[in-house]
Amino acid sequence: MTIWLTMLGMAIVTYLTRAGGLVLLRGEPPAWLGRWLGFVPIAVFTALVVPALLVRSGASGQELTIGPGLASGIVGAVVAWRNGGVVATIIAGLLTFWVLRWLG
Amino acid sequence: MATTTSATTISSVAHFRAGFTATLPLWIGVAPFGAIYAVSALAAHLDPWQTLAMSLFVFAGASQFTAAGLFAVGATPVTIIITTLVVNARHLLMAASMAPYLRKAPVWMQGLIAFQLTDETYAVGMRRFLAGEGSPAYQLGANASLYVVWQLSTIAGILLGTRIPDPVTYGLDLVFPLTFIGLLVPLLKTRVSALVALLAAGIALAGALFLPGKWYILLTGIVASGIGALLARRIINNERRAVQ
Repeated sequence: MTIWLTMLGMAIVTYLTRAGGLVLLRGEPPAWLGRWLGFVPIAVFTALVVPALLVRSGASGQELTIGPGLASGIVGAVVAWRNGGVVATIIAGLLTFWVLRWLG
Repeated sequence: MATTTSATTISSVAHFRAGFTATLPLWIGVAPFGAIYAVSALAAHLDPWQTLAMSLFVFAGASQFTAAGLFAVGATPVTIIITTLVVNARHLLMAASMAPYLRKAPVWMQGLIAFQLTDETYAVGMRRFLAGEGSPAYQLGANASLYVVWQLSTIAGILLGTRIPDPVTYGLDLVFPLTFIGLLVPLLKTRVSALVALLAAGIALAGALFLPGKWYILLTGIVASGIGALLARRIINNERRAVQ
């Protein structure tokens, strides 16, 4: 029973974070806030990319790791820059990772 | 009138399908982790129904993994719930930045979009909104796509158990950052946005190394975009002056 109640609590707080953002901004936001929020996607996307490629959990916590992950990301970025699209970006990045792993 | 309604419905269905399809590449990355989540939840002595229920009703990968870990060490319910809140706090910002695009959607639809909003589908849908081609139906389709694969892979994990290989060995964890790269890079063709990304990269890296959990996403989302908004006015003004 405790587990079910805990999960109910988890579901509620998770929903509050997601719906909260929508509820707080129901009206037309002021111009400065609109400009600010306009840059949020770029900032958030970058935050989802960079540590995922460069930071691994190691013995002493989070560690900066230069390895196949970074190479994979760079190749992916080149493909994306040349308008390759998401699927081509994923394939190029994964192939890079596999080749590097196979070589190393 | 009837024609208008059915035309709207058809285009909504088309948008939903487009969103669903656009998210399919992410399935490769999500599926192994859904299965591994299930294995770790079972290992933490959740029963199969509880394991599936968490995927169905919480539907938040990172916090489900964290919760499984906390259940395993016998953490108190309050600890688990607060940790979940902290891990998911970043969604507040993501939803806020999407809110202007959803304002015209019916409340039930906004409610459903909020329920299934994840990092991945935020990126897929938001990219589309920024290109001026997004719609609530597209977002709903993207969300539904990820929801479906998350449930299927949770079930697969419950059934297959520990026979699942480690996705990190095959680099499948890279599908997430690679997807975000594919969505992000085309947005960087103005000077301000490239600058915001550069700034965000620095903040996120430092944050990921020195802050606990996922706080770095929220921090980066607030700070880098705030500076970007300030810079945007200046650079745009300067460029206008240079052109004249």
